[in-house]
Amino acid sequence: MAMCPFRDVLDRALAINVGATIETGARTSFPLMPVGLAADMGRTADGTPLFDPRIFDSAEFARNPYPYYRILRDHYPVYFDKLHNCYYVTRYDDITACYLDDEGFNTIPKGSSSGVLGNTQLELSGIEHRRRRNLYGRHLVGQALDKRVPAIRRLATEMIAGWKTDAPSEVVQYDAGMGRARIELGGAFANEFPIRVVCQVLGIPDDARQSFVYWYHSMMTGLGGSETAQQGLEARQHLEDYVEGLVEQRRSQPSFLTDDSGKVLGRDIISELCATKVDGDWLSTEEITSNIALIVGGGGETTRGAILNMWYLLLQHPDQFAAVRATPSLWDAAFHETLRHSTSIGGQPRHNTFDLQLHGVHIPAGSLMHMVDVSANHDDRVFADPGRFDIHRSDLYVGKLLRSGYRADGRASHMAFGVGPHLCPGAWISHQESVTGSRLLAERLGDVQIAADRMPTDVTGSGLAPIGLGAIRALWLDVELI
Amino acid sequence: MSSTSTGFRTYEVYQRMRVGESTAKFSPRHLTSPDFLVDPYPAITTLREHYPCYRDWPGNAFWITRYDDVTSVFVDDANYEGRSKRWFYGIESFGRDLGDELPVLTCRAAHLDANARPVADTVVGEFLAEGATDLATEFAARFAMELLARVLDLPAADLARFTERYLRMQRGWLWEPRAQRDGRAAIDELVDYFAPILAARRHEPGDDLISVIGALELPGGPATADDLVITLLEQDHETLHGSLANLWFLLLTHPDQLVTVVGDRRRVKLAWLEAMRHSPPVLAARCFARHEVERFGRLIPEGALLICSAAAANRDPRAFDAPDEFNVARKDLCAREPRGHYRADGLPTGISFGTGKPSRFPALPEDRPRSAYAITRDTAVAASNALLDAVVGLRLSPGTTPQLRSLRLGEMRTCWQLPVHFTASS
Repeated sequence: MAMCPFRDVLDRALAINVGATIETGARTSFPLMPVGLAADMGRTADGTPLFDPRIFDSAEFARNPYPYYRILRDHYPVYFDKLHNCYYVTRYDDITACYLDDEGFNTIPKGSSSGVLGNTQLELSGIEHRRRRNLYGRHLVGQALDKRVPAIRRLATEMIAGWKTDAPSEVVQYDAGMGRARIELGGAFANEFPIRVVCQVLGIPDDARQSFVYWYHSMMTGLGGSETAQQGLEARQHLEDYVEGLVEQRRSQPSFLTDDSGKVLGRDIISELCATKVDGDWLSTEEITSNIALIVGGGGETTRGAILNMWYLLLQHPDQFAAVRATPSLWDAAFHETLRHSTSIGGQPRHNTFDLQLHGVHIPAGSLMHMVDVSANHDDRVFADPGRFDIHRSDLYVGKLLRSGYRADGRASHMAFGVGPHLCPGAWISHQESVTGSRLLAERLGDVQIAADRMPTDVTGSGLAPIGLGAIRALWLDVELI
Repeated sequence: MSSTSTGFRTYEVYQRMRVGESTAKFSPRHLTSPDFLVDPYPAITTLREHYPCYRDWPGNAFWITRYDDVTSVFVDDANYEGRSKRWFYGIESFGRDLGDELPVLTCRAAHLDANARPVADTVVGEFLAEGATDLATEFAARFAMELLARVLDLPAADLARFTERYLRMQRGWLWEPRAQRDGRAAIDELVDYFAPILAARRHEPGDDLISVIGALELPGGPATADDLVITLLEQDHETLHGSLANLWFLLLTHPDQLVTVVGDRRRVKLAWLEAMRHSPPVLAARCFARHEVERFGRLIPEGALLICSAAAANRDPRAFDAPDEFNVARKDLCAREPRGHYRADGLPTGISFGTGKPSRFPALPEDRPRSAYAITRDTAVAASNALLDAVVGLRLSPGTTPQLRSLRLGEMRTCWQLPVHFTASS
């Protein structure tokens, strides 16, 4: 073989052996690290950690995202990810400012959910958004919601009562002799409960609810351009066809919500929407349908995640669980601290309307900017020791959620529902579902333990797996049924 | 840029994906898989034939893959723009790109024309006596760097260090954070390296590119070492190195074609054009929408990234017969350079370029030098002729299976190892 002097020059220049090395691209795996520690991605000459955008695609990031977001917050408050062609905004204050600036940041062109969810309130901006916002939102807050609480309680009671059967199911194994059961809280309660509540307040007939649960699960797995997008699209089409028929029917025959005694409380949401005018014109069936799809989609997964994460975290902190049992009013604080600590929605995309200079980074108009809510919630500029789960935390605001956010007296609201014009309209009903449902659960369950043998362990081989991004898939509990 | 934009947009109905419009035949993961680095053609063929304007959600980009679509984006300066490597580096305000100054263009063209053959003869002479070499490194890569050093009139002893820094700089603007760090450092080192040279050439000017840049009269004051380095950064560097390596890879793996070329040297130029069509080293250009534009049956939002795949377009059966075939006698490939249109003489041109626009000077006045594309082509042809003149019986070393590949996602796809045996001509 001939001498290849220039090969050595190339090898040094490219910092690899060009004859032998091949990068494995974006899928390169990162080592799984102990929770809270970041894998080494290199450093600059002055010691600043480098940030490798492939981490976002890795398994490591999904289970242990917070140390990486910390690097972004501390060193790259605006991070330009050239691999995914987007910008990450990770500090609490920056995200708040962007969310509140409705003109500078819009939610269209569409995010990746629009393929499945259709044109929704989520993706309108400015005047278009304000004009319609209250149509949907007003049914989910205040008095309108109070009317729905009895229905929520009734539904939860029904579902829990079903557990005391001798016929073992996949998710509930009840031993009548011992009075104990092993249940999977998701399958037995949290997966279906929110979607049933949504059907209830929407006024979906009972016989269609199973279809709704199926459509909902298909739509959720179809988000984000995933491989199951096709299934999600079909599910959405079926849901749309069904709701279209329902809307047409309700236009002439509205239906009503009742309380426990059968007294009429008001029209259900679809009937309300059918009777609503914007700019002197009835809402179109297409528009109602899209937003029903969003309510169904947005109202299920998130609340399910909140309930499961809340129980998972509380049961790993038995003293805090005992405190909540002793003082049920603490469920509100537990709910908010759960969403601060481990919310199941990572963040929201925005597009900047104008060229923008932020933290020294120039962002051309129309760029995709990710507002990372979970990072804001772990911003130690706002929340002390953010990795600690503490329902008694003194720096978290746990009162009524405000569209303006809350930042005073050393307390701040968490970012799980966002702030500003696009504040989650389901925030309050989700709160009610989680807290009311959990209170009823706590009353009916004595001596609750996590069934550790059924739960995934951490990569270290011992201890329960962290929640990471999203929500835990399943929560197995050993309980005493009262 | 968008100060006239109102901030609000109308309610669009047609953006939604509908059943039947799915992209079930393709997963965006194909675009980042290790296989894509070696052979991107199966993936981009699927896109071209089924989803000509594919929305890659994870990469937040639109993939444009048909010949007519890709070229329509390139010629549409009103709606799309390229962005400089400095922009990707995040150092837009650093230095000035002087590559468009007429003295710079003229000097570079003159040097490349005059030096291509002598430099190639020297490079080939280095390994001629050994009867074997690696054409990818010792010929293609080395020739490109030696020629650049000659244009700048750098001392021979500096070649290795200059090459290292130069390639680091050219590699750093992509997504890899370590490469970006090293690239930034290389830019600083090159500035330090060139500053005294630039000062010396101002004092005693020669006819090299540095002297010409030093003598430029510019509105913002005389050129600095920053400007010189940025000018080097923004100029294309992959096409000469990559095209030479790819051309010889293809010729050596298609021995019948090599025989044709050896028998008729006029075919070297056609072989180069065909190699650039068949396997362009730069696979795609990144274009950004200047404003919201309705195109390819979609609403392309302002600021959207369009990845215009030259590799896919060059194998579009709508433009070329038997596009996957490497054929130096191809009849349906335009042999002229694309001056602002891609179907001169009614024949499609292969698309191959560095980043940015395919031809920076689409309609040249007579007193200007030829386009960078034509100069690169002639340089590569001169180098290939030097090799053919010097050796006979050129063949792959036994037992080797060279391949084309990108070292990293988004980088040049070329041959990095091409061991050959030959006999020196008498």
